[in-house]
Amino acid sequence: MHSNNYTLFFVFIVTVVLGTMLSFTKDSVKDLQDQNLKADVQKTILRSLNFDESLLLTNESIEETFKSSIDAKCVNVEGEIVDCNIEEVDIEKNEDTLPIYIRMDNDEVQGIALPIAGKGLWSTIFGYIALNPDTDSVLGIQFYKHGETPGLGGEVEKKWFTDNFVNHPFKQPNGEIQYIPKKIRDKSGKIVSIKVVKGGVDYSESNTSSIHQVDGISGATVTADGVTDFLLEDLLRYEKTLDKIRDYGTI
Amino acid sequence: MELFNSESKKIVSDPINVNNPISLQVLGICSALAVTIRLDQAIIMTLAVVFVLCSSNVILSLIRNYIPARVRIVIMLSVIASLVSVVDELLKAYLYDMSKQLSVFVGLIITNCIIMGRAEAFALKHGPSKAFLDGLGNSMGYGLIIIVVSFFRELFGAGTITLPDGGAGYVLWSIPESWYAAGYENIGLLVLSPGAFIILGLVIWIQREFAGVEEDA
Repeated sequence: MHSNNYTLFFVFIVTVVLGTMLSFTKDSVKDLQDQNLKADVQKTILRSLNFDESLLLTNESIEETFKSSIDAKCVNVEGEIVDCNIEEVDIEKNEDTLPIYIRMDNDEVQGIALPIAGKGLWSTIFGYIALNPDTDSVLGIQFYKHGETPGLGGEVEKKWFTDNFVNHPFKQPNGEIQYIPKKIRDKSGKIVSIKVVKGGVDYSESNTSSIHQVDGISGATVTADGVTDFLLEDLLRYEKTLDKIRDYGTI
Repeated sequence: MELFNSESKKIVSDPINVNNPISLQVLGICSALAVTIRLDQAIIMTLAVVFVLCSSNVILSLIRNYIPARVRIVIMLSVIASLVSVVDELLKAYLYDMSKQLSVFVGLIITNCIIMGRAEAFALKHGPSKAFLDGLGNSMGYGLIIIVVSFFRELFGAGTITLPDGGAGYVLWSIPESWYAAGYENIGLLVLSPGAFIILGLVIWIQREFAGVEEDA
C-alpha cells in the first residue's frame, strides 16, 4: 500500500505530464484548425449560394472562389452599409452590425447569403440562408455548427432537411408538379419567414401557407422550433436591407 | 522475450478471432453501431482506436508498478482521455471533414469499454511489449468487425463504397444507374440504427460459428 503523499505526488506528476502533452498538441495544430474552421464557414456560405461542389473541394479553391465571387460587407438594421471586420462580427451579439454576403456575377446580384444563428435544444445552431435576388425565394440554406443530438436534431445539417427549403411541390394549372423554392415573404411583401412544422407540411389546397412551411424532424421538435424562431428573428433584422436590394438591385 | 514466438502471436490473433472484443465479449458496441454507416468512417475510427489502445496499453504497462492501486482507475482514465483528445485535435487539423462526420464518437472512444477493459485486465499485469501486442490485437479485432459491418451497411444501404481521403471521402464504387433503372433499390433501413443491429447480429452469429464458440446454456 502506497502512502497518501506518494499517491498525491504520483497523481500530480501524471497530471502535469498529460497536461503538457495536450497543450503541446493543441498549440502545434491550432493554426491548421483555424484555417479549416474558416474554410468551413466559407464553404457553408458558398454552398448556400448554390456554388458547384467541384469548386469546394480544397481549402485553397474555397478561399479563391470566395474571394473572386463574393462581395462581403456589413449593414445596419436601417439597411445602410457600415464598416466592420466581417470575420470578427459575432452574429449572436451584434444587433446592429449585420454581415451580408452577395454573390456577384457581371456586376449583377445573383444571390444574398445571411448568417443565421440561434438556440436549438442543446446548443446554438449556426448557418446561412441564401435568397434569390428577388429577396423572396430561398436559394439555399446550410448549417455548419451545432451540438444537437446526431440522428435527431443533428439532422438539420443533412441534405434531406435543407433540400426542403428549395423543393416546394407547386401544382401547375395543367396538373403537373413543378418544384419551386419556398418563400419568405407573403403576398403583400411582408417577411413571414419559413416555419418548420411538426410532422410534415400539409400540401392540400386548404393550407394556403404551405409555401412558407417545411417538414420537421421527428424526435427533434425543440430543435425545429428553434430554427423557426431564429430564422424569423434574423430575417427581420435584414428587412430594410432586403427591401432595398429588391427595389434597387443593390444596397 | 522474443517478439514473435507463438505466445505473442496468440496475444494478437486471439482477440481478432476466437476472443473478439465485439463479437465474443460484446464490448464497444455503442461506437460499433454509430460509426458504421460508411466504410471510410469505420476505417478512420479503427485507426484512431488502434492508436489509442496501443498507446494506452504501453503507457499504463510502463508505469504499472508505480501506480497506486487506490487511484488506478483515475490514472487509467486520464491517460486514455488525454490520448483520445490528442487524436481528436489531430483529426480536426488534418482530416476536418472526417472529424465533423465522426463528431462526438471520437470523444466517446474514452468510454469505449474495450480500452478500459484491456488496461485493467491486461496492461496492468504484463510488460509493455506484450501489452502493445494485446492492444494491437484487440483494436484490430474491433476494427475488423466495424469495417465488415460498415461495408455491408454502406453497400446495401446507400449503394456506395467510400474510402477515406483528405476531404469528404473517395467513392471507390457505386451501384450503377442502370441497376436502379432496372428496379434495384437501396435498403434504407440499413442506414438507420436498427440496420446496424441486424448486420452486427448476423456478423456475431457468423463469426462465432466460424470461430467455433459454444455459449454455455
